Amino acid sequence: MNAHTVAVLAPAKSHRLSLLGVAGRAALAAALFGVIVGPLAGLVVWSVAERWHWPALIPQEVGLKYWARITRGDLFGALTRGVTIAVITTVLALITAVPVSYAAARRRLPLGPLVLMLFLLPQAFPQLPVFASAAVLFYRWNLAGTVPGVVLIHLVGGLVYAVWTMTAVFRAIGEDLEEAAINLGASLTRTFFHIALPLATPGIVASGILVFIYSLDEFTGTLLVGAPYVTTLPVYMYTASLGYEMQIASVTALVLMAPGLILLLLMERFLRAEYLAFFGRL
Amino acid sequence: MPRVRPVEQLLWWMAAVPATAVILVGFGVPLLQSLTASLVREGHLTLANYALVYRLYGQDVAYTVLVATAGLTLTFGAGIPLAGYLRLHHAGAIEFLLKVPLFVPFVVVGHAMRIFLAPRGTLLTVLHAMGLVSADASLGFGHGWLGLAVALAWKHLALIVLLLMGAFRAVDESYLEAARGFGASTLRQIWAVLVPMAAPSIALAAVLALTSMLASFSIPLMMSRGSGPQMLMIDLYYRFGQHGDFGVASAIGVVSYLLASGAAYYYLRAVSR
Repeated sequence: MNAHTVAVLAPAKSHRLSLLGVAGRAALAAALFGVIVGPLAGLVVWSVAERWHWPALIPQEVGLKYWARITRGDLFGALTRGVTIAVITTVLALITAVPVSYAAARRRLPLGPLVLMLFLLPQAFPQLPVFASAAVLFYRWNLAGTVPGVVLIHLVGGLVYAVWTMTAVFRAIGEDLEEAAINLGASLTRTFFHIALPLATPGIVASGILVFIYSLDEFTGTLLVGAPYVTTLPVYMYTASLGYEMQIASVTALVLMAPGLILLLLMERFLRAEYLAFFGRL
Repeated sequence: MPRVRPVEQLLWWMAAVPATAVILVGFGVPLLQSLTASLVREGHLTLANYALVYRLYGQDVAYTVLVATAGLTLTFGAGIPLAGYLRLHHAGAIEFLLKVPLFVPFVVVGHAMRIFLAPRGTLLTVLHAMGLVSADASLGFGHGWLGLAVALAWKHLALIVLLLMGAFRAVDESYLEAARGFGASTLRQIWAVLVPMAAPSIALAAVLALTSMLASFSIPLMMSRGSGPQMLMIDLYYRFGQHGDFGVASAIGVVSYLLASGAAYYYLRAVSR
């Protein structure tokens, strides 16, 4: 008796919706909601708590005093600096990653697998010791504590995301159209700009968003290479929490989290396939 | 494959240079430099840095392995049943919820968990309001290894469930139908069918998570109390930043490469295949 006969003979038990099943699913969803949202909810409460003494469940005084600080001073500076660095990093990552990814996807790169492997190193090895060592080198090259230095460190991590997503994107686009164009006499370069690049645009945008979010959230490299002269939001948040400024750290955390959550909503609707393909490869 | 003109071939090579150069300059060279710096102390080639690491941080190596192993156990203990459940039953809301931690930055997770698990943190406040603990109770594990493991598991759960779901979806439906035919429950279908058939992918996901947890820095930095055993990356950061001792810091780095190297090798081999 093979698997199919068993399936035909047996009653389709799983399709029957039992009361226990519904209750179980609701319980699972509720428990998971508590586990996932619970720790984050604390941030929201702390960000508006102007006076909160233990063991009260809610703060005694609630207000937007700490949120008002976003509009002025250090926090705003750290935010704009971080966004600027993220934009530069994203543009550079896309410009440099597109050719490598395309060449790797079409298997036109000599030592292709080895080159691709190189772009996995920052993911497979501990980053902190390497970035500490990079900080020493950057100091020698006058790059430590500068925006170009921080961009370079962000590019290292960003390129991992960019190259691997884009290689997957280019591989997913069939080679047939390009071969047809080449058979009709188009050059490889012309084929790339007129066929492959337009088809890959949605995937390139997706990987650009991933790099942007990565750069905005990057902490280790920025702290080692940039601090104290170049401060981005994650570093600012760390400094705030060191002084036990719970409210400021919590407001910063929420601001820091916003782009990622917006991205999650966007990806749910538009970028699902690329996003899953990328994490599947990882 | 159409014939490629030599000029165009050369162009593609050149196009690959900038990105490769960034990785070499920003990662490759520093990686090699940390290897050589770990073997030099006061201008001499020596193993003294490693002797210091053994003496000062031996306990922290064990602590790091403990935290990473506990984090891994928690992640997979929750992740395997969840991914299996999502493979067998469609539940969009649960799937969406699970993706949230993927988009929360590491520093934010560290800060949120610090608030949540603190001796008078949000978790204890809620438990107190529910009448489950008394006002003078305190939560023992917020700063310790278990608190760290919980935070690391929280951050890694989303990625692991996504990876496992991908692997479980590749398992042919007929095997599951057969198991259901014999009256297998959801848990039994996961344990007896999905897990064995997706074993290589589960191993790869475990390796990825373990490497990441061994090398975790921002979460322990946000949650650390400054006394007792520490994660290795915290030791490295202070050795480098406060003591300015690049030699010992590099030796700690090399120890962390070695801890992660088995995992890294397996990961690189599996992914680049």
